[in-house]
Amino acid sequence: MLFAVKNRPIIKPAEWVVIPWLPSAPQQVAEILSRFTGVQVKDYGGAGGLKTVNVRSLGSEHVGIFLDGIQIENAQNMQVDLGRFSTDMLGLVTLYNGQKTKRLQTAREYASGAAVYLETDNYTIFPDGGRVRLKGGSFATVNPSVTWKKELAPFFNLRVNGEFLSSNGKYKYPCFDTTLVRENGDILFLRLEAQLARSYHNGNWKLHVYSYGSERGFPGPVIRRAQGFPFSAERQADQDIFVQGAWTQDWTKRYATSVRFKYANSYTHYNTHPERNPMALPYDLHYRQQSGYLSLAQSLILAFPWTVDLATDLQYAGLNSDMGQFVTPRRLTFTGALASKLVWDRFRMAAYLVYMGAWDWFKTPSAGGWSDEDRYRDSWMPSLSFCYAPWSWLEISAFAKRTYRLPTFNDLYYSLMGNARLSPESAAQFGADINLSKRFEKWSGALRLSPYYNRVSNKIVAIPTSSQFRWTMLNIGVAEVTGLDVKAEAGYEGNLGVNAVLRYTYQRALDHSTPGSQTWGNQIPYIPLHSGSIGFTLRWEQWYLNWDTVLTGERWARSANTADYYLAPWSLSDASLSRQWKGLRASIHFRNIFNQHYQVVQGYPMPGFNWMLSLEYNW
Amino acid sequence: MKKAGLLLLCGAFAFCACQKDPVPSKDTTLDGQSVDVSSISTSAQKLFVLNEGGMGSNNSTLDFLRFEDGKYITSAFKKMNPDIGAGLGDVGNDIAIHGNEAWIVVNNSGIVEVISAEDEVEIAAIAVPTPRNIAFDDTYAYVTSWAGAFVTYGADYSVADSKNVKGQVYRINLSTKKVEGSVEVGYQPEGIACYKGKLYVANSGGIASQLPPMYSYDNTVSIIDTQTFTVSQTVEVQVNLKNVYADGKGNIYVTTLGNYWDVHSGLYMLIAAAPSTVLHIADYVSVSAINGDTVYCIGTDSEYDWSGAAHVYEAWSVAHGVKKALSLTVSETTPYGLGVLDADTFFVGDAGDYFNPGTVSCYHKGTKLWSVTAGVCPGHFATY
Repeated sequence: MLFAVKNRPIIKPAEWVVIPWLPSAPQQVAEILSRFTGVQVKDYGGAGGLKTVNVRSLGSEHVGIFLDGIQIENAQNMQVDLGRFSTDMLGLVTLYNGQKTKRLQTAREYASGAAVYLETDNYTIFPDGGRVRLKGGSFATVNPSVTWKKELAPFFNLRVNGEFLSSNGKYKYPCFDTTLVRENGDILFLRLEAQLARSYHNGNWKLHVYSYGSERGFPGPVIRRAQGFPFSAERQADQDIFVQGAWTQDWTKRYATSVRFKYANSYTHYNTHPERNPMALPYDLHYRQQSGYLSLAQSLILAFPWTVDLATDLQYAGLNSDMGQFVTPRRLTFTGALASKLVWDRFRMAAYLVYMGAWDWFKTPSAGGWSDEDRYRDSWMPSLSFCYAPWSWLEISAFAKRTYRLPTFNDLYYSLMGNARLSPESAAQFGADINLSKRFEKWSGALRLSPYYNRVSNKIVAIPTSSQFRWTMLNIGVAEVTGLDVKAEAGYEGNLGVNAVLRYTYQRALDHSTPGSQTWGNQIPYIPLHSGSIGFTLRWEQWYLNWDTVLTGERWARSANTADYYLAPWSLSDASLSRQWKGLRASIHFRNIFNQHYQVVQGYPMPGFNWMLSLEYNW
Repeated sequence: MKKAGLLLLCGAFAFCACQKDPVPSKDTTLDGQSVDVSSISTSAQKLFVLNEGGMGSNNSTLDFLRFEDGKYITSAFKKMNPDIGAGLGDVGNDIAIHGNEAWIVVNNSGIVEVISAEDEVEIAAIAVPTPRNIAFDDTYAYVTSWAGAFVTYGADYSVADSKNVKGQVYRINLSTKKVEGSVEVGYQPEGIACYKGKLYVANSGGIASQLPPMYSYDNTVSIIDTQTFTVSQTVEVQVNLKNVYADGKGNIYVTTLGNYWDVHSGLYMLIAAAPSTVLHIADYVSVSAINGDTVYCIGTDSEYDWSGAAHVYEAWSVAHGVKKALSLTVSETTPYGLGVLDADTFFVGDAGDYFNPGTVSCYHKGTKLWSVTAGVCPGHFATY
């Protein structure tokens, strides 16, 4: 009883999906997230296209992506490409708009504005055994994967997963007055992962090894191009490796610790291939980023119902490149979080304070060569949240928090652009949730209303200087966001299962950077005022039918909300049908059923109608 | 960058520019914002403003100011060529007048767009890889190009050496509008000017400075003999060259961008008769333009202050190698382009935040008359 109460989250996640429970073969992580309220997935199209996530207009740098509680780091630009994480190894995908307040969190978890949690599958979806899955379809996609699981001892599991994908990324799209086929959007990747997990009566540990190698083309923006010149011949090869682990132990009934670590090494080779594209700027660059991470989280139940948590994280990241005038930045970040929780059955509250300090070392040009410089940035981040559940069917919660995101290596040190003097960017968030849920025999229904207000200030913006070839980054941007997320869900479970979900997001995200400027008070780029989705699932015996329509209202690609930068509203409908026969499952997934031509990012057309067939066998 | 006076570079065309067409051109129906041109006396019909747009955004636009009725018309190319769905293209990097034609270099589209200067209707779109700037003589247009690895031109490009990233100057026949060969120059050539059978090409090395094995800017002017179409001489000036102007009297002016650290931007001069002698005239050039035999510059001595503090810009001019301060207070956020109509009348393009539409302001006798909203990054001017 005590344990159950103390580990209860203060505020429920805004959205979650249990992957093994999905009726049809799971899609990419980005696709799952794009259905969530308040989430905008920036998608440049194609299997190899960058997919990043923005929650409640905070900017993708403020959205922490965590794998088993450990942040997926990209010190260079803080853009985590969701395309690199497969649903194969995952059990749960969760979105927290406000604050996740669970026991034994890492300090980093407290320090991010919004968070997407990817959790590896701890739900035993199959005992000893495995799964082979073969997906294939449009864009000449071939995507086999194998998962193998072995129980080495009771509660001691090994899971190994491998996935390969090959896709030519070709699709037709309207290009101004004509129709063209998207070229150079092909991708090949091989992902291999293994996880050892052991749990025992008062603790557990996990060790996870990940390797991802890919080679892909970037098709480039669609622009006016002289006939005979391709849009792009850019290629990128990546090799990512990480090892991460966690060990959690309850030392007494009151005191527990969790130790987590990660080592990551990612290598990128970017080449514009001028020999294949006369329009290319002749770049051929190599980058290597290395990072190490260590976290200790402690939790103490002082007196029921009062819990205190202290988390301390240390992270090191360094980036090397053969690019000219490269400053070879290194960063040591300390994050400390002190959290205090009061948890009763009907009322829960939490308060925390995070301190984050980052020490950067970098080279700077000086008389006679390069000299070493260093800089320290720090910030305090407070948060307060509470939840009141007067009846089982009603839960009201609210939170207020301030977070900072550190300037990225690109912001600070990118040659001809970076500004080493930048301060962290700040996000103040206020949000409330009203959750109504009711179950009546075979019927269930839920409604969530979440109004919020965010203010992102000291926003890091690239601006030009007196020399047009030299830009600089400054803390000048301000965005004010007033929004409302609504999610309504109804279901029936009997011989026939029916579930319907309606989601709606209103986001008034205004540029309040420079009073008197032409952009003051306009909607910030790529944020629709209205967006939403409709989902419908039908189950009958071993058949599942799923329908999803995503609607995105009008947007602008610039804060100057003029006709030139207007992006028309679009809707996208997907459907999937699947059938289960014991260990065998077949699914077919139709995407963009109405063959809509749309762009999530201006200049990057998305594919029209496409399909994917999946066959899998579990044993 | 600015070739406001490019029409003057090769003396022969200086006089065509002012001819007026008795037949009203089709673009007279275009309407735009009214501005005050009452104090401007000029024989020119219009001032073209080329907005670069953002790279990859396909939003380069052509505006013009009609002196007759003081209308500032935006996106004229798109309005007069509705069949070209893609518009002018991606990154308009230079505009120059030749006779009754306006030649627009659309960098990231790989197109040199030739339009009627009368009514902006397309005459030809010529494919040139990564074109940057343009100059003319009697027979050819010469276009600098960063696409160094390509030494042959035709339906297919063949690679001489993919590690050689030197640029080229492409030659386009003025009557056939066909490319007739190219010649290799330095790294990432930018500005070009023509004077008495010689082309002066400013090599920047903007990309080479970031890449192995050079890691340094180019600092040379390539001098090309137009008869043999070969480089006859290479002259060292200073790092990161930008614009070249020929004043028609044998003075060749070269602007530099500096290395963004200890070498500042500046203006240099060489004499066509003895080009190996280079004179340093002054530092700090953010934007520049030529009019007649005078080069106009706007710059700031705090150009390498990246703190975000507002810069104070000074304007000055140079004629026959002699610098003269101008009494002109430039009140712009980011001067990005300069157009000079006459000694009293300047047009300054302000790029603002580079991302949203900028403005064009008219300065007359030292004071700002008006500002209009242009396109994104108004950087290049030409009078017709």
